[in-house]
Amino acid sequence: MPLLELRNVTKSFTSKTQTPFVVLEHITMAVDKGDFVCIVGPSGCGKSTLLRIICGLIPPTDGQVLYKGTEVKGVCEEMAMVFQSFALFPWLTVLENVELGLYSKKISQEDKRRKALKMIEMIGLKGFEEAYPRELSGGMKQRVGLARALVSEPTVLLMDEPFSSLDPLTATHLREELVDFWLNPDMAPDTVIMVTHSVEEAVYLANRVIVLSHRPGTIIKEVPVDLPRPRDPRSDKLYALVDQITSLIA
Amino acid sequence: MEPIPRTHLSVVAGLLEILEDYQGKVDAAKIADELMLELDDILPAIEAAEMLGFIEVDSGDLILTEKGREYLAGNSIQRKKILNQTLSRTSLFKWLIEQLRSRGNEMSKEELIALLEEEMPDVDAAKMVKWIIEWGRQALILRYDSNSQTIKLGDLV
Repeated sequence: MPLLELRNVTKSFTSKTQTPFVVLEHITMAVDKGDFVCIVGPSGCGKSTLLRIICGLIPPTDGQVLYKGTEVKGVCEEMAMVFQSFALFPWLTVLENVELGLYSKKISQEDKRRKALKMIEMIGLKGFEEAYPRELSGGMKQRVGLARALVSEPTVLLMDEPFSSLDPLTATHLREELVDFWLNPDMAPDTVIMVTHSVEEAVYLANRVIVLSHRPGTIIKEVPVDLPRPRDPRSDKLYALVDQITSLIA
Repeated sequence: MEPIPRTHLSVVAGLLEILEDYQGKVDAAKIADELMLELDDILPAIEAAEMLGFIEVDSGDLILTEKGREYLAGNSIQRKKILNQTLSRTSLFKWLIEQLRSRGNEMSKEELIALLEEEMPDVDAAKMVKWIIEWGRQALILRYDSNSQTIKLGDLV
């Protein structure tokens, strides 16, 4: 049984005066434990909507999302999300923002603090515990977003364009760190599903790239990426896959 | 006093990652080209990496040093220790640590700005203090509480 399964997921928005607006159509895919899947597609293809449906933030109009064989209804506690815009609370410190990732856990406040401090250390935020988001660079803000998502030790990490608002060198570094965290058996996450508009980023990171069509988003193709790690972002094999996928989208 | 880095650590680290991809040596202009940036845009990162001893610059080529490799290979705490040792030896942080010690390990941000204006009349002291706080926190040399605007000595000094 796959860890996560989407069966014929369709999402449309309706209004009384207009014809239904179909965002995603007939999405069927499976994700195994330990997988790193990137979803690419033209802007407006419903990539972000798909992530929100997967973690139960919004329900599909039709079809099902199954986590370990059970239908996801409402926000799934085994998954955590990282956003492009960081989505931090400006009035909370770094430590408090990270602790918020444990909001729904039934553990003591001391345990929450202990876990949050450990995650802060692992993710390179030590020294910034009492800083507010406004005092941080973009890269450090996204580290807080990542720490908040990982502190609850989710099985699946969902990432919506996590690096696209960062400068290119910071993005390079954080991509590398993400792979290290994913490969580290002592640290969440085991499984990553990332939405990105950068085909290079997708091929560099993923075991498998899922290519969506223009609206309504349907799966055009699943492209396995069998390149050994650590990967050379400038290798011919990687570029060949980038070209292949780019031609599907354009 | 020597300057301290005026760019973010993650930018410096990204530069090191790219250098590692190129087996430790590449032309600076090539990196800029690849990132679709101007050389000017990556210059602060190059200067910072050189100042930290992570790279050497040889007529346009950037060369990753042993220390740079060690930094890349380390976990987040090992990296912070390398930064701590490196930065606490710079004249600016040495001076600042002395100033803090003589004041019971604590001073206000305003006080530091005033001290810097005396010490380095040519630089924008308020801006410099922002970079000092950022790098001081990264290297665990300083702690800073923005509510009370207080700078304190960190755990690792």
